[in-house]
Amino acid sequence: MDTPTLLAHLETHAGALALPRGGTLCWDDADFHRAAYTDDPEGYALLGLAPGVLPWQRARVLLQLLAASQAGLDDATRGTLARVARVLTLALPPAAVITVMLGLRRLRANHKHTTRAALRFVLEHPEADLLIAARRPALVDCFEHALGKATARGCARRIDDGDTGSDYLRRRLLRFLTAPQVAMPRVRALYGTDDQAERGAPAVVLPYEPVLALDPARERSPVVTATNRGDIAATLVHLHRGGPADDLHAALGRYVAAATAALPRFDGTVAVVLDASASMRGYGDREWAVLSQAAALRMVLSRICTRLQVVEVGGGERAPAGATDLATGVLDALTAAPDLVAVISDGYENLFPGDLARVVATLPRAGVTTPVVFCHAQFTGADDLTLRRPAPALPQRGFWHQDDFTELLPWMFGHCAAGAPWLRAAMHTRLDTLDRQAAQMGGVAA
Amino acid sequence: MTTTDMPGTPESLEPLVPGPVDLAGYRLGVPQQAGALTMIPITGPAYPGIVPPRSGLKLTQVAGYGRVELRNGSPDGVAIVPLHIGYIQDAAQNHALCRSAFLAPGAAVMFEDACCVQESQGGYLTGRDQWFFVLPVELRARALELRGVHGYSKLWNDIGELNARYGLPRRGHLEQVLSRKRAVLTQFQSRLEPQPGQLGALFFIGGRFAGLELAPDPVYFAEVWMALVCFAYGAAAWHAEPPPAGAGGPGGSGAVPYEAADLASLRAELARDRAARAAEIAGWVAAVPAGDARLREEERYLGLRLSTVTGAELAGQIVTDGDRPVYASLFARAIA
Repeated sequence: MDTPTLLAHLETHAGALALPRGGTLCWDDADFHRAAYTDDPEGYALLGLAPGVLPWQRARVLLQLLAASQAGLDDATRGTLARVARVLTLALPPAAVITVMLGLRRLRANHKHTTRAALRFVLEHPEADLLIAARRPALVDCFEHALGKATARGCARRIDDGDTGSDYLRRRLLRFLTAPQVAMPRVRALYGTDDQAERGAPAVVLPYEPVLALDPARERSPVVTATNRGDIAATLVHLHRGGPADDLHAALGRYVAAATAALPRFDGTVAVVLDASASMRGYGDREWAVLSQAAALRMVLSRICTRLQVVEVGGGERAPAGATDLATGVLDALTAAPDLVAVISDGYENLFPGDLARVVATLPRAGVTTPVVFCHAQFTGADDLTLRRPAPALPQRGFWHQDDFTELLPWMFGHCAAGAPWLRAAMHTRLDTLDRQAAQMGGVAA
Repeated sequence: MTTTDMPGTPESLEPLVPGPVDLAGYRLGVPQQAGALTMIPITGPAYPGIVPPRSGLKLTQVAGYGRVELRNGSPDGVAIVPLHIGYIQDAAQNHALCRSAFLAPGAAVMFEDACCVQESQGGYLTGRDQWFFVLPVELRARALELRGVHGYSKLWNDIGELNARYGLPRRGHLEQVLSRKRAVLTQFQSRLEPQPGQLGALFFIGGRFAGLELAPDPVYFAEVWMALVCFAYGAAAWHAEPPPAGAGGPGGSGAVPYEAADLASLRAELARDRAARAAEIAGWVAAVPAGDARLREEERYLGLRLSTVTGAELAGQIVTDGDRPVYASLFARAIA
């Protein structure tokens, strides 16, 4: 399965997994996930971590990873899948993870990696005590499915009798855990009789927020200005306005370096068609804002791409002017035989409207297989794009803030074969970071 | 970058501009299109020394309904008031002028024949917040006829008719179009983009001539650009806008591919197609019905002459210095 199709599905196919009482698991896109996993288990798992993937799609990824057999996979791949599953159990709302675990029970999935993930969620989640207090019957079901009912209850009995390390306990339970001393009181709590209701204590509410943030919350000013859209663009705006060039250029270098420090190298050729027409400059309070963000993206690409070719349309990045001829820009960009063509534009095509769409439609019959993507330069995420889609058939994605690059870059590189190593490396880096964060949490070992 | 030159010549403009006007040096540029609106840039020799409207002209007072005073803030240049300029402000009576005029350096002129364009809104405009518009092209012929006529409500019926044609309540509120539709109209400022050195434009709506605008220099044109493209011609173009391209539209996912087997032939096909479309637009220019337009001088300032153009199918005003055009705003009397 190609990456753009998979990523688009993970980012747009909404809807919860449902588990009707006594019914079968409602997993509407199970075949899609199964096919993607079969095609490339590691790539599929890593893409579940990509910025912008919907939470319930991440839950499906977790479900697929834990439901599928790992027979035939090498140790490195198994290790990656286990780490992704671990991160997802911490980065999804606990209720969604419980649904996944109960779904695994309905699917009768009982692989070793399934057992390990379930036990670590039930017994080693940083908020396991709260979860058990709030959803004890469900978590008992998860625990008993993981070990088998008789074994689970046998372990619970032994722990209740004071067993902390018998051979039985080690072989059946403790070998799956990383912090047995933390886990054993929780087994007692799962089967304890002193529950909240009997004590007349108020019901415990299941925590909603995940303990690990996959997509950090983005702080947004209620008023978008030309200079609160990220450091790089803000600095460029000040340069255009005639600010102190030496200071601003020095800062610009630092900001670009910081923005690209954690990004892997793209070992291929990207051709950017940069719309530098008059409309990109803007006017009034918005003057320079859109062009500066487009230039910021160009600078980031310049830093991480081995080869970057820029075709400017209209005027130039420093002196935007004139009309927008995106069709000719794309044709010029293709002459360098790039791995990817990225059109960066506000979408106002006026020379002549419709030409970009026709040229793009002709590329396959002209023998061109180079992917072309449209990066929509916007002033805010709420821009009305109705009249700004010059080629609706092109894959397109908007951006207006530097933070948007986090989602934009994987999406761009995901469209070309040369981007696959970049995407895998970027997601591995992300996994490493998340793993480290998980390891630092109380009650959790990586 | 490959572009398709418009087969424009100075002669292309001559049928449009009546009288002994020398258009040598003027040239038509590559057409741009946005929906139903086509704009052909005009470049040519600048006429220096004319004060541009946004930075130079100030609305100093509205002395009463239908009485608007403008002042030329420049100490050393004459101002040419753009034809049918108007001002809008929240909670005040919005006014537009029915004619162009000269304002000597530092001079103020009271326009006694201004028209109110907001039927029931009380209050007066003040000097602040002065973004201006130019009357929608559908109203311009009537407004020009009413120059010299005192009566602030003289355009209300026509505005009501225009609103009704746009599917809006039949009231003398131009604000219904200009302000409430401002978000979509102001997009024309980005959808069409002035060229470096551009000092004029030909506008067509749905392939039919809508207007010819000529400014003294590129700075003046840049300052009047938004008012022209968004309001004078943008409103009518918005009304005539075809629906956004769907799957089968010209820019849609069902765009018809060219017959091209490689990149070189695709480039050639594109160039041929553009040449054909440019030729079609050149045909629109050639078909502009100038007819038997007459010139009537209205004002003088030193060697400058302001004249009204009246023809069967177009009207407007023009400023000349001898046989040299300085400013022109000519428009179709009827928009389909």
